[in-house]
Amino acid sequence: MQNLLFAATPTSPEVNFDFERHTLSLRGESYPENAAMFYGEVIARLREYLGACTSASVTVNVALTYFNSSSTKMLFSMFDALNEAAQNGNRIVLNWFHDVDDETMLEFGQELHADFDAFEFVSHATTNG
Amino acid sequence: MTNAATDVDYQAFFDIARKHKVIFYYVGYFSQNIIAAMSDAVRLQLTASGIDGVKRRKLFSSFVEMAQNIIHYSSDSLTAESQDNNQLRHGSVCISLVDGQYRLMCSNPVDNSRVDHLRETLEPLRHMTLEEIKHAYKETLRAETPEHSKGAGLGFLTMARDASAPLEYSFLPIGADSGSAMFFLTAII
Repeated sequence: MQNLLFAATPTSPEVNFDFERHTLSLRGESYPENAAMFYGEVIARLREYLGACTSASVTVNVALTYFNSSSTKMLFSMFDALNEAAQNGNRIVLNWFHDVDDETMLEFGQELHADFDAFEFVSHATTNG
Repeated sequence: MTNAATDVDYQAFFDIARKHKVIFYYVGYFSQNIIAAMSDAVRLQLTASGIDGVKRRKLFSSFVEMAQNIIHYSSDSLTAESQDNNQLRHGSVCISLVDGQYRLMCSNPVDNSRVDHLRETLEPLRHMTLEEIKHAYKETLRAETPEHSKGAGLGFLTMARDASAPLEYSFLPIGADSGSAMFFLTAII
């Protein structure tokens, strides 16, 4: 399956889904004009990939410094897909990078943790602003 | 040659802005590129002002929600209603300092038909505690996206969560036959 790579723009994150290596990364800022459109393709490809995974070990790295409300909604459905895949017998680790004093990110991470308990959630507090 | 009248007018505008401690103001058409550039300007201002990271993030977040509301919902549009990206719509945003707090304001025209819906969405938020707002946020996050919403129904909740006082809003009639009202929204952070 072909990897998915979108370069970052000022208002959308870098998407680097290396399906071959089972490593999926999102990095940057996320407030595209139309989050449903931006994430639509990302989530469709993710679901396609996860559907074909059996007993895979998948690492997901999310290092978003900011995401707007509509991106939040899309991220939530992305994590929903990951959770399903974890319930289906895959091992999924989500590395959640957030700034040490970013309450909102931390709380959102905790929300994810509470809702989606099938994957492993690892919170990383960073200090580079 | 200088034009004295223009100088005086601009001086007056400049003085009012200074008196009200306006640190950012934009009125005109909003595009996604313009929002990205404004976000840069606002971030730079906030960083230079030495404001703490928590407040800076809340301000930035509410600023983006306001700017994107304009791009999604202003009834003064240069692009077709059906177009779902690269829109150009008119409005204004303003950030000023009031009694040591930041005040974010935005305005854009809305069709009269949307006024009741906006009121029904915003008014309950004004009477909720922070805990209730967070709870409503969580529920909305898990719910289906409402019809007609281009965001996720989370925008106002995000602002209400970040604000330190209830959101304020008002509608002013624009002209007898315009079919629109000017929508104003204020968040104190």
